[in-house]
Parts: sequence; structure tokens; C-alpha cells
Amino acid sequence: MRSSIKLLALGAVLAIGAATATVALAADKDQIIKDRQALMKEQGGDMGAVKAYIDGKGDLAKATAGASDLIDTMKKIPDVFPPNTGGPNPDGKFTTKAEIWSDWNGFLAARDTGTEKATALLAALKGGDMAAITTAFGDTGKNGCGACHGKYREEIKQ
Amino acid sequence: MPRKVPGRDQAIRASLAALLLLLAGSPEATAADPDAVARGAYLSAAAGCGQCHTDAKNNGPAYAGGRVIATEFGTIVTPNITPDRANGIGGWSNADFIRAMRWGIAPDGTHYVTAFPFPYFARLTDGDLADLKTFLDSLAPVSRPGLGAAASLALLARARAAVGQAVAANSAASPAPSAPKIARGAYLVTTVGRCGDCHTPLTWFGAPDVSRKFAGSAGWFNDRKAPNITQDPKTGIGGWSEDEIASLLKDGGTPDGDFVGGAMAEIVRNTERLTDDDRHAIAAYLKALPPKVFGENK
Repeated sequence: MRSSIKLLALGAVLAIGAATATVALAADKDQIIKDRQALMKEQGGDMGAVKAYIDGKGDLAKATAGASDLIDTMKKIPDVFPPNTGGPNPDGKFTTKAEIWSDWNGFLAARDTGTEKATALLAALKGGDMAAITTAFGDTGKNGCGACHGKYREEIKQ
Repeated sequence: MPRKVPGRDQAIRASLAALLLLLAGSPEATAADPDAVARGAYLSAAAGCGQCHTDAKNNGPAYAGGRVIATEFGTIVTPNITPDRANGIGGWSNADFIRAMRWGIAPDGTHYVTAFPFPYFARLTDGDLADLKTFLDSLAPVSRPGLGAAASLALLARARAAVGQAVAANSAASPAPSAPKIARGAYLVTTVGRCGDCHTPLTWFGAPDVSRKFAGSAGWFNDRKAPNITQDPKTGIGGWSEDEIASLLKDGGTPDGDFVGGAMAEIVRNTERLTDDDRHAIAAYLKALPPKVFGENK
């Protein structure tokens, strides 16, 4: 009798523990998705600074800082895509594709391509040739950001 | 003194003349007008011909077909449209080409499924069709067999094609915009680039819902989904300026610094080859569209 009460108590403790862990995991996942979107928005802002400079609406210092930040933030990408954190963004526009994790090396290679393009963009900005900057910007957008979005991001049916 | 044979002399003279004419005339007769080739190449980029007719995934030769496309009528493999006589369209007359482009009928009388967007191409001008053929004829022939399995539901495909054709024909920008810039944009959007092919929702029958042109598609009929590109400020691009729309068509970037991926990234590879004037014409036409709210008939 006593032992069965002990067992029940143990079971209850375990169940509460598991539930708490699940809640904690869910909270972590929500936070990671928020961090992920914040990182992507930051990169969008970086590209926006370069674009503003190309369009004659922003200054070179901000554009250069943007390209530099783009390179730095590329390093953080694996941190905001840990396993089992697939799901939609808080604004519900996009979600992750399972390929991020099933093709993790491909995902990292896409990130490396992004870093390579962003590095060339920063070099072009430092070089000061507007035609080269425009080309490098388009290349970064299309073959860095866009290529990764095409492979690993999915638009949500509204 | 050699005997004069007038008949033979005449024949020799005629043969020589023919030979000279052939030698002098043939390069001119076969060499295409370079301006027409350039115009056709531009139009091909605007219409994205190479996008479907190239097996880019497997590094296939340009325009030699072989891209596998899943459609609601089954999987198709795009045909080779280089001038190879056996596998491409090298043996086609101008009439064959026009019939295929405008009415979706192959030279052997079979019908294409609407994965080939002939209902839109029906309104291409005669001059543009001629330039396009001149451009395709100028390509190097590639002897790669392209056309694969045709649709299994041929009758349904034909019915759908007929409906799609009628609807598309009636859904041209009407009344025709009076400003030349917007009229040019309308032609590029509705006929050449066929933006509505993805951005207009479909009716239950799978025909474009002309009451909600460009209002976006959630992809319930097949797997295509595309955002609302009308002027609705909330679900569409009403908040975008003409410059911002033209900019997306140039490099794929949105006003908030995002970059499109997937199907639209492929389209940007076509629109980046357009002139700034044409990108702005497209943007001006889209800015002139009435706002429609995103949604589908379900």
C-alpha cells in the first residue's frame, strides 16, 4: 500500500516535471523564433541601408556599417535555427521548410554563400564604384538572401 | 570554229546566274535581321520563355527543353524550342509558330495544356511574334529530345484551355489605358509577363477569376500561391511606390529589406533583364490597378 502511494507520488512528480519541461521547451522555441525573425529583420535593415545609399537617399557610412553587420549576423544564423524549432514567424507570413534540418549542410552552405556575397558587397562599398556596388548588392540580394529564402523558407497560405 | 549551240549557252548562262544569285543572295536570305533577333531576345526574357524551356536544374542547354513541371493535368516535360529539325521547332513555318503561340495547337494538330500559356500569348502583336520566331530561329540547334509525357486528361485539358483562353482574351486591360506608359505596362503584365497566371485567384473550375484580377492566390486549386499585387493597402502593395515596385523587379528586394525567394526569384531573373523604362511601366500599371482584398472563392 505504502509503496504504491510512493509510486503514485513519484509518477506525479515525473509527470509534473515532464509537463514543465515541455512548457519550458515551447517557451524556448517561441523565443528562438522571435530571435530568428529579429535577426532576419536586422539583415533586412542592413540591406536597406545599402539600398538607400544606392538610391541616393542614405550615406556611405551607414551602408558600410550595414554590409559589415550583414557579415557578422551571418555567423549567428545556425544559433537561431536549432533542431525542432520549425514553425511560422510571429507575423504569420512565412514558415520554415523541413529541409533546413534534413539538409543542414546545404543550409550552412547557403549561409556561407550569403557571407561571401556580403563580403564582396562590403569590398565594393569600400571601393566606391557605384556600378560595382549596385551589382554586388543585386548579387547579395538574389543569390545570398533570395537563394536561401527560395530553398528553405515557405510562404504561408493566408 | 566551234558550233554555236544557243540553247546550251542559254542554259549555262542561266545556271551561272542562278549560282551567282545563290552565292550572293543566300547569306542575306538566311542571316536574320540582327535588330529583330535582339527584339525577340528581349521579348523572350520578358516572357520568361527560357525559364520553362531550359532544364536549368540539370545544367541543360538553353531553350532545349527538358524541365519537368507538375501541372494539374499531370507531369509534363517542356519541349525543345531550338531550331533543331528533329527535336526542336526547326521545321516550323511562321504559320505553325503563330498557331502554336496564339491557339495552343501544335503543327500535328494536337493541343497543348495551359502550362504553356498560349491564352495570354493570343494577344501578342504580330510584330512581337515575328521577332520571337526570328530570335528562336537564330539559336544554335540542340538535338536534345524535349517533349515528354503529355497530359493524361487530354479532354479536360482541352476544355480548361478553351475556357482559360476565352477568359484571358476577355480579361485584357480593358478599356485600353490611354497613357502610353501604362499601356506598355498593361501589355507587359497581362500579355507578355502574364503576372495574373500566378497572382490572380482561380474559380472553382480553374479559370482565372477576373473579378479579382491580381488579388493573390492561396493555391487551393494547384500548388501555386502568390501575394496580392493590387493597390489594397493591407493585403496588397498599396503602400509601395512605383520606384519600390520597379526596384523589386530589378533585384528582388522588397521595401522592408526582404528578398523574394522561390518562384518570384525566378521571375526576377527575367525582369532584371528589362529596361528601367519597362520596369517602371509595369509598376505604373500595377499602381493604376483598383484595390482588391486578398481572398479566394472556396
